[in-house]
Amino acid sequence: MTPDEMPFGISAPPARRKLFRFQETGLLGVIFVLGLALTIFGGSLQIRQPNAGTVETVNKFLRADNLGMLANNASFFAIMAVGEAFVIITGGIDLSVGAIYCLSAVCGAMFLSYFGPGGAGSGASPTWVVPAAILLCMGVGTVCGLLNGAGVVLLGIHPFVITLGTLAIYRGIAFVLTKAQAYTNFPSQFTDGFIRHQLWWHGHALYPVPLLIMLGVTAAAGWYLKHAVTGRHVFAIGGNEQAALFSGLPVKRVKLKVYAFSGLTAGIAAIIMLGYYGSASSDAGTGYELGVIAASVVGGASLVGGHGTAWGALLGALIIQMIGNGIIILNIDQNYSQIIIGSVIIIAVLWDRINTALRERRLTKSAQAVKQTSMEN
Amino acid sequence: MSAASTIPVVSFRGIGKRFPGTVALQGVSFDVMPGTCHALVGENGAGKSTLGKILAGLYRPDEGHLEIDGVLRRFCSPLEAQRVGVGIVHQDLSFCPNLTVAENICLSRLPNRSGRMDWLELHRQARACLDEIGADCDVQEELGRLTTGQTQMVQIAAALATGARILVMDEPTSSLSAAESRRLEKLIGRLQQRGTTIIYVSHRMDEIFRLCDTVTVMRDGQHVATKPVAQTDEAELIQLMIGRAWTRFFPRHLARPAGAEQLRVEKFSSPGKFYDVGFALHSGEVLGVAGLVGAGRSEMALGIFGLDVNRTGRIFVKGRKVAIRSPREAMALSIGLVSEDRKTQGLILGMSCGDNVTLCSLEHLSRCGIICLPRERTVIADFFGRLRVKAASPQVLARVLSGGNQQKLVLAKWLARQCRILILDEPTRGVDIGAKAEIHQLIEELAADGCAILMISSELPEVLNLSSRVMVMRNGRVRQILNRAEATEERVMQLMAGRAGAEITNHLSSAAKN
Repeated sequence: MTPDEMPFGISAPPARRKLFRFQETGLLGVIFVLGLALTIFGGSLQIRQPNAGTVETVNKFLRADNLGMLANNASFFAIMAVGEAFVIITGGIDLSVGAIYCLSAVCGAMFLSYFGPGGAGSGASPTWVVPAAILLCMGVGTVCGLLNGAGVVLLGIHPFVITLGTLAIYRGIAFVLTKAQAYTNFPSQFTDGFIRHQLWWHGHALYPVPLLIMLGVTAAAGWYLKHAVTGRHVFAIGGNEQAALFSGLPVKRVKLKVYAFSGLTAGIAAIIMLGYYGSASSDAGTGYELGVIAASVVGGASLVGGHGTAWGALLGALIIQMIGNGIIILNIDQNYSQIIIGSVIIIAVLWDRINTALRERRLTKSAQAVKQTSMEN
Repeated sequence: MSAASTIPVVSFRGIGKRFPGTVALQGVSFDVMPGTCHALVGENGAGKSTLGKILAGLYRPDEGHLEIDGVLRRFCSPLEAQRVGVGIVHQDLSFCPNLTVAENICLSRLPNRSGRMDWLELHRQARACLDEIGADCDVQEELGRLTTGQTQMVQIAAALATGARILVMDEPTSSLSAAESRRLEKLIGRLQQRGTTIIYVSHRMDEIFRLCDTVTVMRDGQHVATKPVAQTDEAELIQLMIGRAWTRFFPRHLARPAGAEQLRVEKFSSPGKFYDVGFALHSGEVLGVAGLVGAGRSEMALGIFGLDVNRTGRIFVKGRKVAIRSPREAMALSIGLVSEDRKTQGLILGMSCGDNVTLCSLEHLSRCGIICLPRERTVIADFFGRLRVKAASPQVLARVLSGGNQQKLVLAKWLARQCRILILDEPTRGVDIGAKAEIHQLIEELAADGCAILMISSELPEVLNLSSRVMVMRNGRVRQILNRAEATEERVMQLMAGRAGAEITNHLSSAAKN
C-alpha cells in the first residue's frame, strides 16, 4: 500500500436494509421505464362507448381495463413469488408451487361446486361455505408445503429433488381427484360477491380484491421478515446454515415453516384464481413454478440464500407480467414472448451479480482500511 | 551447493493477498533453492496455505509477483502453473472421487483417438506414473474408495505426470497413519534425489527436521524468517511461530478465589477425536486448554456444545447431570461457544453486524415472536460501545470488518445472551494485536464478573497469562491439569509435544540464562 492510498476514515459501506431499499427503488425504476415505454410506443385504441354512442380514444397501455388485467394477472404470481422468496432466502427452492396451486384450486373447486347452484349441496348457507372454501384452499396448500418441508428436513434430500417429486405427485393427485374434468358453478357469493367484487370507475369495471389480497400478503410477509424472530432466522440460515446451527437457531423448524408458507401462498393464489375465473381443472398453473421463481429472483432473491425481500418478489412478478403485456400491446409476434422474458430474467440476475461484485471489491478495500487504522492505533 | 543452484527456483516478491474482511498475506518475500525441501511453517491462519495456492495458480496475488527460475510469472490458472512445472498436493483439493485412479492421473490430457477414449493407453500411462513413485494401487479403482494415503500418492503421481519439478505439499500428513507418513517421507527423499523441489507446508515439527533443508516461518500473513534447518531448532521455530515477543502485551490474570462449580465433565469421549476427558470449571475461573493442532481440543468443545453425536460420558452443569443434544439445549443451560472458525461457524457474513450480535438473544428481545427493534438497537449499541467494535455503523455487513472486529462480534453475540459458561476456541486467532489485547481484557473482566471460561488457544503466552489453571491435551487425551504456579512455559510445552518436549526445555533454560 502506498501512503496516498491509505484511507483516512472508513467510508460507510451500504447497509443491508438500505441496499434492499435501493434494489427495490431500482425495480420501481424499471417498472416506471417499462410503463413509460409502453405508454409512448403502445399507441392508442378507439373504443366505442355503447351507452353514449361516442368514440373515445384511449392509450393502449394506460387504460383502466389493461392496467386492471395486468394487476390481476400479476397477483397470482406475486403472491406465490413472496412465498417462494422465503424459501429461496433460506437457500432452498420450491418447484412444486404450481402443483400446490393446482391441487388447492381443484379441492376448492370441487367443494364450491358441490355447494354451488347446480351441486348436490346447493342449499347450504354461503356464510359458512365461502369461509370454509377459503380455509380449505389455504389448508391444502399449507399441508402440501409442510410435506415438502418435512421431506427436506427429515429425509435430508436436496429441496430441488423433493419438490421436483412433489410437483408431479401433487399434480397427479389433482388429476386423480378431478378425473381430468373442470369444475365450475360456484356460489356467486364467492365469485362476484368476493373475489370479483366490482367497482365502477368512469364507466370501467375494476376488480380490486385480488390486488388488495396481493398487497396484504406482501405487506404481512415483508413485515414478518423484518420484525419477527423467525424472519431474522430465515436470513441467518440462508446466509450461513452452519453458523446458524452453532448459534442455536431452530434450523429445521424454520425450514419447515418456510416451505409451509410457500404452500400457503400457493393456496391463497388458488383462492383468487377460483373466484376470478370461476372454474378450475387439473391443468391449472402448469409451468407456473418457473414464472414464480423468476419473479422472486428478478426481485432480488439470491439462489445462494441470505438475500431477498417480499416487496422485491412482488415487483419482480409485476415486471414479468408487464413484459408479457407489452409484447401484446406492441404487437410483437407472440412466439417471441418466451425468448424476451427469458432474456430479461438472465439480464436482471446478471445485473445483480455485477452489483454484488462491485460491492465486494469496495468492501475488500474498506476492510483493508479498518485493518490499517486499527494497526496504527 | 553447486553453482547451478544459485538462481532460486521460486522467488516470492512482496506477495500480498486480501480476502473480503481479512488480509491473508502481506509483503511476503523469500527464495526457494532448487532441489531443496523447503518447509513452510506457521500457526493456522498464518497464510502458509494461501501462499502455496498462489504458487500453484489457484489464487492470484493482489500485490507482488512470483519468479520461477528467475523469470517473472503471473499464473491465471492452475494449468499455467502446471506448464512451468508447479504441482500441488492438497488434502481437500483431491480430484474427482467418482472417477478411477487412471482417469484422475491423466485428467488434464486423457489419451484419445479423435475424441474416443483410449483405455489401454490410459491405464498404461497411469500405471507408469504410479510405478515411478512406487505406489501400488489398482488404476481401475474408483478414487473415492482409496485410503487417504493412497489418494495422496495418486495426487503426487498425477502432479509428477504433468512434469512438475516444484511440488507444493499442503499439510500432506495431517490425515495419514504413521505407516503411510513414513512411506510418504521415503517418497519425498526419492523425489529430492531426482531434483524435484518440494515446498512442504506443515506444522509438525518432527517432520520438518527429518525432511527439510530450509524452513520459512510465517505469522499473521507475514514472513518472519527463512533459515537452514540445520541452524535452528524446534524451540526457536515455535517461538517464531507464536511470537513470544508479544508476551509483554498480555495482561496478567489476577489471582482470585474460584467460585462455585459451573461445569463438570467426566469420562467424556468420542471415538477418534478425544478420550476420557474430565475436568471441572468454576465461576470466576479461566481454564486454559493448551495443545497442538489435532489434540482434540476443538472437538471436545463441540462435544460439550451438543454438536457431536458420537460422544459419551457425563456432563454436569451446576452439579446437575444434564444431557446436551443440540446447541439449543446447551444454550438453555447458559453455555456459549465462540467457535474456532468465525467465518464459517461464528458469523453470518452477509448479515449486518448488529443482526449478528443479537442473533442468539432474539428470544429475549422479542415478545410473541416479534422483535422489539428499539430494544434490539439499544443492546447492539451497548455492545458496540463495550467491546469497542470498529464499524461505520451496526448496519454494515459483518463480512466487511477486520478479523479482530469480527471476533468481537462473535463474543458480543454470546455476551448478549448472557451466558455464564463460555467456551472460547482460539478467541484471538487471526486478530490484530490491538484487538487481541482488548479481547484479553474482556476475558479478564468476564471472569472477574463470575463467568466460567474454558479457553482453548494455540498461543502459549495467551494460555499462560490468562488462565487460572491450564489443561494440556495431546492426542485426544488430557495429559495434565496444572495450576497456576506449576504452569510454566517449559512444563506446558513438554506436555504438549510429548517426547520432543525435553529438547525444548533444554533450549529454553539455556535461552533464559543468556
